[in-house]
Amino acid sequence: MKYYRVWKALLKIRFQNLMMFRLGFWGPFFVDGSLFLVQLAVFDAIYANVDRIGSWGRGEMILYIGTFSLINAVNMVVYFFGVNGITSKIKSGEMDLYLTKPVSPLFRLTFERMNPGSLPLLVFSICIIGYGVRAAGISVSAGRVLGYLFFLGIMILLYYEMEVLIRSVAFYLVSNARMEQLEEAGLELCMNLPGIAFYGIYKFVFYCILPYGIMATLPVQSLIGEMSWGTAAFGIAVVCAFSGLTALVWRNGMRHYNSASS
Amino acid sequence: MREMRKYREIMHVYIKSQLAWRADVVFNMLFTVAKILFAWLLWGMVFRERNTVADFTFHGMLSYYIVSSFLSQLEMSGGISGEISARIRNGTFSNYMVMPVSIEGYFAAMEVGVVLFYLCFDLLAAMVWIFVFRIQFLFARSAVVLGCALLMTVLGLFFMVQLNYFLGILTLKYEEISTFLMIKDNLVSLVTGTIVPLALFPEGVVGVMRLLPFYYVTYLPSMLFTGRCAEEAVRGLVVLGLWCVLMQWAIVVTWRKYRVKYDGVGV
Repeated sequence: MKYYRVWKALLKIRFQNLMMFRLGFWGPFFVDGSLFLVQLAVFDAIYANVDRIGSWGRGEMILYIGTFSLINAVNMVVYFFGVNGITSKIKSGEMDLYLTKPVSPLFRLTFERMNPGSLPLLVFSICIIGYGVRAAGISVSAGRVLGYLFFLGIMILLYYEMEVLIRSVAFYLVSNARMEQLEEAGLELCMNLPGIAFYGIYKFVFYCILPYGIMATLPVQSLIGEMSWGTAAFGIAVVCAFSGLTALVWRNGMRHYNSASS
Repeated sequence: MREMRKYREIMHVYIKSQLAWRADVVFNMLFTVAKILFAWLLWGMVFRERNTVADFTFHGMLSYYIVSSFLSQLEMSGGISGEISARIRNGTFSNYMVMPVSIEGYFAAMEVGVVLFYLCFDLLAAMVWIFVFRIQFLFARSAVVLGCALLMTVLGLFFMVQLNYFLGILTLKYEEISTFLMIKDNLVSLVTGTIVPLALFPEGVVGVMRLLPFYYVTYLPSMLFTGRCAEEAVRGLVVLGLWCVLMQWAIVVTWRKYRVKYDGVGV
């Protein structure tokens, strides 16, 4: 209950802050919206020349883009702008302020910079998903939708954990710019390329080390009925493993934190 | 001649300053693999079931990605608009205004310095990826086509400097342009053909893109270097040249009109 009240207060403050810059309010929506429109155009061009990429047709690929867009939209609305500031707060010693507050520092960092301006991205993504379902001609059952929502939920959690994990490296190293560069490159690659394209060492890297390859792939596979029990168990195991790792790195990082000298 | 010496000096300063960030050089080289890996995996899967796509063979497609990735890596003028915008907003753009050189010339010389520095490293990276991914690299054999492609690359880089300079000075009027710059980056990656070759788009769309300068910045030079679209080379140079003139005119008009709005104390 206490955390709910804090969350509500953070949202109110953030709203007041954002409304001062009304044009910037919708900025993330336009930027990310254009990114996913470009992706749709790219795959439309590819599918104008080929029928299938692996086992996926145009509809499945639209579904993939919509799902990645939805995961990204939740990220932008809820936690991206807060989590993104972790590195600078560790380096500048500003983290001190968070340690003195009567709530978890990570909770406050996660929710202090929510961005309601990105909400249209959620609607936009749902429209793409709807279009993808129609284009793929999938017969949607309640079981499949539940499976999709379950995997979508845990992949949103995984996305969040990856962001926190990469920025927590700043507790231990002087600069984690390379880690963020790696995150950007991995995300860019996997936004354009579904997990079904990976094999061998690439599959290991993008499924287990930088698991961006499974983030939109598993929800889509569960919706189109392409997911085996083994794949489902693997997806859940990866999320559990990264949850443990993120908690461990964050807790140890907080102990390692030495104020401005970090 | 004395004027040129000033710009040469700016260029030298930027070549030297790149040496201070050696890790950046190494990581920039390493991250060029992302585009090649994307092409290798995506098109590898597509070409398992067919031999050609839009007249590209598998190795032709990968050769295209090697060259376009190399050229897009060389295009580093995106920071110019951000730098100008930030300087105008915080009031330190005066630093550039008091220099005894043209501001646009300063940024062009800076870009030349950075590009010259990265040229050999990016070339090295491209050769490494050709070797690692065992690509049977296709390369144009005609000296004329190669000459046109080289000239188009230089003009394309200059056009992007002009464009980013122009967008940067628009801050004098619009104050906040960062959102617009990010949208521009997303769109430019599509229309320059760095994500997929523009030949995959319907003929009507390609026809429209031929009228825009972006077609000639990365896409057409990449096609020319890999031995395709030779018939478009000369027309491409003319169109891109015209766009450079047009953009220069836009810069001059915008600068004259809005320069007086800058008061040197930030907005």
